[in-house]
Amino acid sequence: MEDIIVRYISRIIVPFVQLYGLYVILHGHLSPGGGFSGGAIFAASMILYALSFNLSAGTKKLSHDVSSVLESGGALIFAGMGLLAVLLGTNFLGNRAAGFPLGIPGNLFSGGAIMVITFGVGIKVASTMITLFYSLIEGEGHSHD
Amino acid sequence: MSAAAHLPALTVVVPLFFAYLMPLLARWRKSWCAATTLAVLAFTFFSSLYLANRVMSSGPFVYHMGGWAPPWGIEFYVDYLAVFTALTISGIGLPVIVYGIKDLPHELKEGVLGWYYTLYLLLMASMLGMALTNDLFNLFVFVEICAIASCAIISIKESRECVEAAFKYLVLSAVGSGCLLLAIALIYMVTGHLNFTFLAATLPGVMAVYPKNILAALALLMVGLGVKAALFPLHVWLPDAHSSAPSPSSAVLSGLVIKIYAVAMIKLLYKVFPATFAGMAPVMAMLLWMSTLAIIIGSMFAIVQEDIKKMLAYSSIAQIGYVFLGVGLASHNALLGGILHIFNHAMMKAMLFLAAGAFIYATGVRKLSQLKGIGVTMPVPAGAFAIGAMAMVGIPVTNGFWSKWYLALGALDAGKPLFAAVVLVSSLLNGIYYLPIIVNAFFSKPEGAVAKPGRLPAVMTGTLVVLGAGCIIFGIFPSLVLGLVSRATRLLLGL
Repeated sequence: MEDIIVRYISRIIVPFVQLYGLYVILHGHLSPGGGFSGGAIFAASMILYALSFNLSAGTKKLSHDVSSVLESGGALIFAGMGLLAVLLGTNFLGNRAAGFPLGIPGNLFSGGAIMVITFGVGIKVASTMITLFYSLIEGEGHSHD
Repeated sequence: MSAAAHLPALTVVVPLFFAYLMPLLARWRKSWCAATTLAVLAFTFFSSLYLANRVMSSGPFVYHMGGWAPPWGIEFYVDYLAVFTALTISGIGLPVIVYGIKDLPHELKEGVLGWYYTLYLLLMASMLGMALTNDLFNLFVFVEICAIASCAIISIKESRECVEAAFKYLVLSAVGSGCLLLAIALIYMVTGHLNFTFLAATLPGVMAVYPKNILAALALLMVGLGVKAALFPLHVWLPDAHSSAPSPSSAVLSGLVIKIYAVAMIKLLYKVFPATFAGMAPVMAMLLWMSTLAIIIGSMFAIVQEDIKKMLAYSSIAQIGYVFLGVGLASHNALLGGILHIFNHAMMKAMLFLAAGAFIYATGVRKLSQLKGIGVTMPVPAGAFAIGAMAMVGIPVTNGFWSKWYLALGALDAGKPLFAAVVLVSSLLNGIYYLPIIVNAFFSKPEGAVAKPGRLPAVMTGTLVVLGAGCIIFGIFPSLVLGLVSRATRLLLGL
C-alpha cells in the first residue's frame, strides 16, 4: 500500500505509541495496566509500522529472529526472578524476603522484583504479538519460526 | 532453608524454565536440546521421589509461593495423591522422551524438533503443577498451559489429519476451559476464596445460602474437566487427536494428560466439595453411569477399529472410565483401584503406543490386518505389545490385574455388585480386541513390509523393554506403589 497520508501519520504516531507502551509497562506496579497491556501497546506500534510501510521495512526494525529470541527471554526473566529468590534463600518468587530493594511506595523504582517481572512480561507479550503477526503474514512456509 | 525445601516449586519451575530456554538452545546449540530435556525430566523424577519419600516419612506439607500464606498467596500442597501423580508423570514422561529422541527426527520436520522439546517440557510442567497446586485459579492456569501445549504437540506433525484433529481438540478443550473458568468465577463469587483448604471450610456454610450457584459451578466443573479427560459422552475429540499425533505425543497424551484432569476432579470432589453436596445432586451416581458407558462403549468402538493407534485411542476412553468408576464408587478399595489405575494405565498405554510407533517406524504399516507375523520379525516390540495387551485385559502378574481387582472388590464393598460385573465384562471385551492381535502377531506368516522391517534403534527397543519390565514388576510387587496409593485414598476419604 503506497499511501503517503497513512505513512506520514504512522511515522509520527509510532514513537509516541511506543513511549506510552513503555510507560504502561514500567508503571505496571503503580498504575492500571502492566506487562500485558503495555506489551500489547508496544507490539501494536510495530504492527502499525509494518502494516503502513511493508513487512520488509518492519523486519528491518525488529527481525523475526530477534522477536522470537526476545519471546524466550521475557519468560526467562520472569522465571529467573523467581529462581533468584530461591537462590537468595526464600521461597520461589519471594520479594521482600529475598532482599530485593522495595524503595518508597509510589516511586517509579519501587516494588522490588515486581517491576523486573512486569518488564519481563512486557517483553514477552510484545515479542509474542509481533512474532504471531510476522508468522501470520509470512504464511505457512515459516510458520514454526 | 536448604534447596530441598524448595523442591515442590522447583519440580514445576525447572521444566518451565527450560521449556523457554529450549528455543534459544535450538537456535545456537541444537545438539544440546535432547540431553537438556532428559536432564530436566530426570531432575523432576528424582525430586518427585524425594518429595514422595518426605511425604511418606513425615506426612503432607505445604509450600507457599513467595512466602505469602493463603488465602493471599498461592499454595502447593504436597500430599500423597500429589506425589503419586508427580511420580507417575515424571516416571512415564522420562522413558517416553528417551524413545522420542530417536523416533522424533523420523516423524517431524527438521526445523520443529527444538519446539517439540519446548512443548514436551511445558506439558510436563503444567501437569506437575496441576498435581501439586492447592489453588483453584492456579489450577486453571496450568489447565490452559496443558491444553495449548497438548494441541500443539499434536499439530506439530503438520499433516492434514493432525491439524484437523488438533483443531477439533482445541475447540472442544477451549469450551472445557471456558466451563472451568465460569465455575471458578461462580465459586469465587460466593465464597471469596480460591484456595482448596479455605474453600472446603467455607463451602458448607455458603451452600445453604447459594445452593444454585454451587450446583451450577459443580456442573460446569464436571463438564469442563470431563471434556478434557474424555469422559464418555464428551470424548469425541480423543480418537483422532491421539491416533494422528507423533507416537511419543500419543503416549503422553493417552497415558498422562487425560489422567491429570481425573486427578484434578478427584481433588475437587473429595477435598473441596463437602460430603453434603451429594444430597443435592447425584454426582457420584452420574459419574458411575458415565464411566460404565465409557468402559463398555469405548471397548466396543475399539473392537471395530482397523488402525492400530486408533484402536489404542478408543481403548483409552474405556480405561479412563475405570478411573472414574473408582471415583464414583467412593469406597476405599474402589478409589484405590481407580487411583492405582492412573499409574498402571499410564505405564501400559504409553508402552502400547510406543510399541505401535515402533511397528510404524520399522515397517510403515498401521493397519491391524497387515501386522500379521510382526512378532516373528520384531520380537521385542511385539513382546512389549503383548505384555501391554495382557495388562489391559487384566491377566495376573501384570499390573493391570491389580487395579481391576481393587475396582471389583470396591464395587462389592460399596454394595453395587453390578459394577463388579462391568469390570469383568469389559475385561472380556478387552480380550476380544487385544488377544487376536497377539495371536496374529506371533502365529502367522509375516508378509509384505512386515516380513522385512527396518532396523529399530536400540534406544527405542530399550525403552520398550524397561516399560514392559515395569508392567511385570508392578504386577508381581504391587506393594511398591500400593502403600502410597492406599494412604492417598485414606486421606481423601477421611478414614
